[in-house]
Amino acid sequence: MPANDDVRILASRASTPLVRRELSRRGFLAFAAGTGTTMFLAACTTPGGAPAPAATGGALENALSIYTWGDYDAPEVLEGFTADLGPRITLDSYGSNEEMIAKLVAAKGTSGYDIIVPTGVFIPQLIENGLLYKLNRDLIPNIEHVDEAYLGRVWDPDNEYSICKAWGTTGFVYDKTVITRELKTWSDFLDAAKNEASGRTAVLDDPVEITGIYYWANGIDWDTTDPAEIDAAEKYLLEELAPHIAAFDSYPGGAAIPQATHVLMQAWNGDARIGIMESPDPDRWQWVLGSPATELWMDNWAISASAPHPEAAHAFLNYVLDPEWAIAQIDYIGYHTGAKNIEAMAREAGLELLDMVFFTPEQLATMQDGEINEAQARNVEIWNKIKAAAGA
Amino acid sequence: MRKARLPGFALAIPAWVWLATFFIAPVAVVFYYSFGYKPGLFGTHATDRLSLDRYVEVLTPTFFETFVATMWIALAGTALCLVIGGPVAYWMAVKAPPSWRGLLLALVLVPFWTNFLVRTIGWQVILAPEGWMSQAAQAIGLPAFDILYTRTAVLLGVVYNYLPLMILPLFVAFDRVGEPLREASRDLGANRLRTFWRVTLPLAQPGIVVGMLLVYIPLMGDYITATVLGGAKGNMVGQMVAAQFQTAQNWALGSAMAVTLVIVIVLSAAVVGGLCWLGTWPLRRANRVVLDAPEEVTA
Repeated sequence: MPANDDVRILASRASTPLVRRELSRRGFLAFAAGTGTTMFLAACTTPGGAPAPAATGGALENALSIYTWGDYDAPEVLEGFTADLGPRITLDSYGSNEEMIAKLVAAKGTSGYDIIVPTGVFIPQLIENGLLYKLNRDLIPNIEHVDEAYLGRVWDPDNEYSICKAWGTTGFVYDKTVITRELKTWSDFLDAAKNEASGRTAVLDDPVEITGIYYWANGIDWDTTDPAEIDAAEKYLLEELAPHIAAFDSYPGGAAIPQATHVLMQAWNGDARIGIMESPDPDRWQWVLGSPATELWMDNWAISASAPHPEAAHAFLNYVLDPEWAIAQIDYIGYHTGAKNIEAMAREAGLELLDMVFFTPEQLATMQDGEINEAQARNVEIWNKIKAAAGA
Repeated sequence: MRKARLPGFALAIPAWVWLATFFIAPVAVVFYYSFGYKPGLFGTHATDRLSLDRYVEVLTPTFFETFVATMWIALAGTALCLVIGGPVAYWMAVKAPPSWRGLLLALVLVPFWTNFLVRTIGWQVILAPEGWMSQAAQAIGLPAFDILYTRTAVLLGVVYNYLPLMILPLFVAFDRVGEPLREASRDLGANRLRTFWRVTLPLAQPGIVVGMLLVYIPLMGDYITATVLGGAKGNMVGQMVAAQFQTAQNWALGSAMAVTLVIVIVLSAAVVGGLCWLGTWPLRRANRVVLDAPEEVTA
């Protein structure tokens, strides 16, 4: 008899994964019962929290903990995962990358989260601090359904740690009943803010989005660390733009657009789209993609280095990337998910305002990846100064 | 045999443990971090090299300007709460039928049943330029109502959110003065105004001070109410602290700002308290009762 641990069974091909999982789960349970006490004691002696065991495609754990942005996944996808594969999902949400990172760092590997959804620019930091699990790509074959354009970004060139979850860009929305001329570029935005929209302009409540307006309008690299360029941005924004700003609002789509609070608002595309769809008078609003340049931000699926349920986490990533869920996800969050052929599927499904979700290759070419660099402290300082000046 | 008794402070132990664990320890950590530095792009704080450099960085014109704006909002809000809440508390404690008090107190507390952020955003909906208040104003021929994102809206929100914190201690203070003292004052020939100024108000003074502190101190640190309704006009210093912790990921500088803020709030409360003490000096002087002159009576 060959020395081989394989178990041979006669079963249909489709049922193989299930049988394999059930068999190994039983094996796992027997093992766990025997060694439970030892493992518990071992866990107590490593206060730093042990790194997650390697995911090898074995039995799924019975739970999965996801730490993500609020309201960021279609409920039917999460329910479907539990119904189809078993693990119960615990969902927790954060409002900023910094909040998520602070929690993971402070917990020192005991956060208990499996899946996190960091924005691309934060991924180098997460990797450097050892907070991300190196994905076992063999367990995520559905990555083939992700458009190559949204893989291999600068923060994780080989997608060793992360896979595109959703991406968006920055532009602005204006009220055509007040601003009757056509606005097309960031320079037009700045000009309108100083004229028709003075005192009725909102910008995103984020340092690099505000400095971005100036850099994008003037053809300067958004990620610049050149002190002369930063000083020029500060001078312009503080003297020319700040006096006309009414509010710093990162989500004008939630209330400001439906309630017509301002006439000119910098906004992310998906949020602006929701705002226009919710407006009692959608025709008064015009969306403009920032030009000649703007940003491309991307939130990414990733697994925490201390994930207690790595098998379930890999299974979830593979599950959520299944084309079956592409429409549900895009319809729910209003952002491009990076799935292949998603545009055709969305048009077929009759989703609204798709020019705010999908962009032409020419437009895509104008979108820049951000990065966290030495200019961060200065950007925050400029942001605070603009706020003080706008409030004066 | 004397029964063994716990010392009196035993009753305070739970509160002390709670405060020490969840208040003093975190503040001490913040204090410690404030002498540290940001170690690199991806670090938030390091304390292997301690210095006062972060405090030098805190004291910028922007911080000062934002702090002054915050203090104006806090002072104006406190004054408005006192002016609006004072008469209500007085009425509840003195004039309203005693059987109503439970109901009135419950009504004052009703707003606390809803999350304050939700209530504040509710005002945003009401005050929006095309919200129902504006539409109602236009329907009766008034100009469109556009106060959202102005200082007026900030003060409206502040008074709305903090008024109960003023009314409750004032109510207790006015209530504790008690009807017998007011009656005695009237029996001794004082009219109602004189009774109020010379009996009720001086005795209620500690409650008034508590009410003002309860509004002023949280208001100095609140950056939600003001920003939701005031937008750019509701810029508060708390946001600068949050920006350092969150966006800049510089916990050392954020901690130094927080510590500076605590010190300045304590100092400003002391200064305002001192000014009030000086301001009411003539009143106290006039109210002074001299008890050492019985000779005239006996003579």
